[in-house]
Amino acid sequence: MPAVDKREQPEREHGSPSRAFTSKSAAGLIVGLALIALFAVVRVLAPSTPEVFGLPNAARDFATLSISVVVESLPFVFLGIVLSIAVQVWLPEGMLLRRLPRSPVLRRLVLSLLGMLLPVCECGNVPLARGLVVKGLTVAESMTFLFAAPILNPVTIVTTAQAFGWDNGILASRVLGGFFIANLVGWIYSRHPRPGELLTARFQETCSLADHHDGDAGRVRRSVQMFSQETRAMMPALFVGAGMAGLIQVAVSREVLVALGSNPVWSVLALMLLAFVVAICSNVDAFFILSFGATFMPGGIVAFLVFGPMIDVKMLALMRTTFTAKTLLQLSLLVALCAAVLGLAVNYGH
Amino acid sequence: MSRWQGVVLSLIGLTATIWLGLSGQLALYIHPRYFVFTVIMAVIAGVLALAAFAFAPTAQDGHEHGDEHEHGDEPGSRWGWLWPVGSVLTIIAAVVALLILPPSTLTTATVAQRDLNGSASALTLKAPALPGKGDYSAFTVRDWASLLRSGAGQDFFADKTATVTGFVSADKTDPNVFFVTRFVVTCCAVDAQPIGVPVYHPGWQNEYKTDSWVTVTSSFRANPNAASREAIVLIPDSIKPTTQPAQPYVY
Repeated sequence: MPAVDKREQPEREHGSPSRAFTSKSAAGLIVGLALIALFAVVRVLAPSTPEVFGLPNAARDFATLSISVVVESLPFVFLGIVLSIAVQVWLPEGMLLRRLPRSPVLRRLVLSLLGMLLPVCECGNVPLARGLVVKGLTVAESMTFLFAAPILNPVTIVTTAQAFGWDNGILASRVLGGFFIANLVGWIYSRHPRPGELLTARFQETCSLADHHDGDAGRVRRSVQMFSQETRAMMPALFVGAGMAGLIQVAVSREVLVALGSNPVWSVLALMLLAFVVAICSNVDAFFILSFGATFMPGGIVAFLVFGPMIDVKMLALMRTTFTAKTLLQLSLLVALCAAVLGLAVNYGH
Repeated sequence: MSRWQGVVLSLIGLTATIWLGLSGQLALYIHPRYFVFTVIMAVIAGVLALAAFAFAPTAQDGHEHGDEHEHGDEPGSRWGWLWPVGSVLTIIAAVVALLILPPSTLTTATVAQRDLNGSASALTLKAPALPGKGDYSAFTVRDWASLLRSGAGQDFFADKTATVTGFVSADKTDPNVFFVTRFVVTCCAVDAQPIGVPVYHPGWQNEYKTDSWVTVTSSFRANPNAASREAIVLIPDSIKPTTQPAQPYVY
């Protein structure tokens, strides 16, 4: 659906007879229900034993891993979209942004703590960040939020503390490192002369057409339109990202990664590569990497825990809805460099 | 078509999720603690998706920003036709993966890919680890694998009988040994770590396929093959084939 253009809407709503509108809605609703019924029937009638298709094990596991990424991320993406709709449509104009401090540095500091209020992992933060940009957040500020929120987030902090405890420095390095990198990235991009160029053309269009005058009657309609607009951007990215994550997991041998784990430099690089590949949510990645705790040096684990929530295959696919490919390449290199420095510092400082 | 891609993909995803929830198969993909949250968000998204159909933009809306503007960054470019094709392919892939393929657990291909019993965190005993009076009947594959890994000696295992259920996976180094294997899942199937208890049973390849489920009841013995990596193994009198349990993963 194209970006919402409200100018002609009130006219049509009052102009057209309400009965025509109702029958049109009913028709749309029936189409939607028919689709759900169709999908449900297909699902119920499909064969229920895996052997029917005679797929080799590797193909089955590729499907299982990819589906698992989708099923796991889907509710968080929906939650992010709902939050984004709430911020854009239902929050009083400027309520969030007006309360931020004036100084750019302080604004970014506060924004990077916003994740404390929103226990959503990184997949849910992308739609929310898009909503905040439409509301008037600068591009650099949205990056700071996007990179800080999945790490400075109560669920992530609690699971990391459960996995590694409070006293060995991994939790502190993760939280402080993530906070610092997010603000550094924000500061660097705040100096960009034409920040609009960092965004994709389609997302710029969304921003420029976004409606800033609220008509009460149109809010529900706008929420619904935003839902289909955001799902159109997010869903293909999520499905493609999940497919890539599944494929890479089946194809790349983990033994190679583990062999690299005991070297202070290679452990950092290998675990960053692993973080990029497995694309696990920040809420639970600490448990996952704990299983490598015996083989990898702590700096590698910190690099994994800082780099993974910011950049991985799934996140790149999701962020591509908003940022240009060139921007994402720069961001990936910048964040990777910072995470590597942080990991090496932990390894050699130990 | 591409206008509805997001909503249609959402419908596919949430129909599959709710069906998995209703038929009790969500556990094949995610940890039980996410069940309620996942189903609730799927229902909310379902309501919004249906509303999106009901409030479908009229022809006038579509006219101004028609479909020709919807294809990516450079509308009308030479590769513009790729977008609708990609949209259709994504939807087909989603239908096949989520609605047609039968739900499935991970297989021995992933056991080979990920180090069996290589995960420290998957092999930690939970709080009331060792029962005082020697009642080990509730011990799972995970508990026994943890005990074996913890380095408890042969004396410790001498008087203990294990009953474990899991699927068969081969020992890479010893052809006489297979593992009764389970996956430990901390969040979703993506992070599954394989664990297993070694069973010494020469010629097992002729009787049991890898990936088939078995229940083994036996006491622990020293491995007759002293060169094997597994020093203590189960040497069962009988191995019962069984069906995959409702919760194939352990948490």
